[in-house]
Amino acid sequence: MLESLTSLFYGFTIALQPHNLFYCFIGVTMGTLVGVLPGIGPTATIALLLPATFTLNPISAIIMLSGICYGAMYGGSTTSILLNLPGEASSVVTCFDGYQMARQGRAGAALGISAFGSFIAGTFSIFGLILLAPTLADFAVKFGPPEYFALMVMGLTVVAYLARKSMAKALMMAILGILLGCIGLDPITATPRFTFGMLELADGIGIAPVVMGLFGIAEVLENLGVLSKADVFAEKIKGLFPNREDWKRSIGPLARGSLLGFFLGLLPGVGAIVPQFLSYALEKKLSRHPERFGNGAIEGVAAPEACNNAAVGGTFIPLLSLGIPSTAMTAILLGALMIYGLTPGPLLIKNSPDLFWGVIASMYIGNLMLLILNLPLIPLWVRVLQIPYSYLSCFIILFCLIGAYSLNNSTTDIYVAVVFSFIGLLLKKFSFEPAPLVLAFVLGPLLETALRRSLILSDGSVLIFLQRPISAAFILFSVVVLVAPLFSQIRLGRGLSEED
Amino acid sequence: MKKTKTITASAGALFWVAVGLLACYGASRLGLGNVTDPGAGFIFFWSGLVLVILALIVLAESIHSSEDTRGTGQLNWTKIALVLLSLLLYAFFLERLGFVLTTFVLLSFLLGCIEDRNWVKSLGTAGAAALASYAVFELWLQIRLPKGFFGF
Repeated sequence: MLESLTSLFYGFTIALQPHNLFYCFIGVTMGTLVGVLPGIGPTATIALLLPATFTLNPISAIIMLSGICYGAMYGGSTTSILLNLPGEASSVVTCFDGYQMARQGRAGAALGISAFGSFIAGTFSIFGLILLAPTLADFAVKFGPPEYFALMVMGLTVVAYLARKSMAKALMMAILGILLGCIGLDPITATPRFTFGMLELADGIGIAPVVMGLFGIAEVLENLGVLSKADVFAEKIKGLFPNREDWKRSIGPLARGSLLGFFLGLLPGVGAIVPQFLSYALEKKLSRHPERFGNGAIEGVAAPEACNNAAVGGTFIPLLSLGIPSTAMTAILLGALMIYGLTPGPLLIKNSPDLFWGVIASMYIGNLMLLILNLPLIPLWVRVLQIPYSYLSCFIILFCLIGAYSLNNSTTDIYVAVVFSFIGLLLKKFSFEPAPLVLAFVLGPLLETALRRSLILSDGSVLIFLQRPISAAFILFSVVVLVAPLFSQIRLGRGLSEED
Repeated sequence: MKKTKTITASAGALFWVAVGLLACYGASRLGLGNVTDPGAGFIFFWSGLVLVILALIVLAESIHSSEDTRGTGQLNWTKIALVLLSLLLYAFFLERLGFVLTTFVLLSFLLGCIEDRNWVKSLGTAGAAALASYAVFELWLQIRLPKGFFGF
């Protein structure tokens, strides 16, 4: 504990250097902006800005890119509350009560509790990160290929279990993600696989164009001719500081949302979207007046906002301590770490303490910046949102195209983004959730390598996954998650769809 | 109506069966290897097989369920096709004509034709946006954008 605090203090000496403060500020401001704008998310923005960070030192670059991740969580709530339109998928739940509060003239209180809640949860998750990441990294040194394989299988099954529609469909998307993610040269024999003779596919399909297509462009295509101009609350937003009664109602949901978000965010694949639905459902269940939910209950804003911010902190733990990305966003950060010559995994904290502790300290500073800047900047975001969606959608498409192109300077990536935008649209049309696809796409190559190494290690015995206690525990948990819905009519994820 | 939905959902599930079978076929050509030494097609074969099984489960679900599996509202397919075509053409011409010109044409088309904006206003906005994005990404952020034969 004392060692962690000393290291954190060292991190602050790095994060407080003027150039790192500047990049932290740029990151959180960009994050808030893309969080506000529907259609372009933090993943697309990180991919878009990644080539621009190649000339920076890795610490400043990661400080800026992680600022985008948590900044987007703050920005996403603004559109949810003022427009009933989530700027981010992880702010969907905030619409339910946030927008109702705004309609009742309490937009200020909703925005205020959302910002303060995000700050409290962000602080909590940073301390969780400080305590857990180094411990987990020490523990993960014992992990071999079977443990990594079992952990990734567990992540994928949990994502499928938490799917809000058909679990079979979610698993199908995960399998499709593995298939697509493994396209390219074989990691062991270097045989080209499903490349159809195209050199551009030898390195596999890039995550950036896939995400830009599936989420960015597909979102615009879905709304073509539907959204014109956002109906923003034009009246002056007052009373950004929640009153005593608001705090009394919100303190419990804030604590529960932070805990739930952080611990679910730890699981590979869960990300920030599902926990906020769970947290909302939990608060509704615990409330003495569940009928207030959906009609402007401040608890319905506080809990999911705390939850999605805490979850972002949680997602950094598998990334920094195991080298496993648990969302598309952290997958691009993983790619960034490798580009900067760092090896993500259990040894990252030991080998690059300046990066690890510098980034953690910057997250705290960034959260503070967001709290100070976010509320005064709300009128500016409102003005941004008054730009007609037709203009915004064209620029979202353009940014996605530039982002897809710029990582490899290849037009093939633009074709990939366009193809995946159409796939994303069809998936939405037929109620397939793209989240498991993206996660499996990211984990696919890691999963394949871990599986094949495990089998080579055990001389072909699949029992290796059950003979080693850690991997056996992960596999057992996965089996329980897969089998449980057969014996129960109620599945957690399906229950969540009722909240949609 | 329910019959149409079932047919659509079933056709969708059969599509995934076909994808799974194609993956298995492609994997068998790559070489499956064996459990002691998995080959290049090993993961594709088993993933393809699981995909087929899951698609059959979804097929069974769609036949027995009365739920509407369509997730989104009415889509404007004509506009969607036009946008997708324009994006493919953008990718094709980007390195030939350069970023500024191609982006100007794309944005003019998207703003003027797709979003039914005034043409003069659209051309002005597209020109300004193409130049501004060139300045931001190429000159400020130093992201290398294609120059084409005009040199910008």
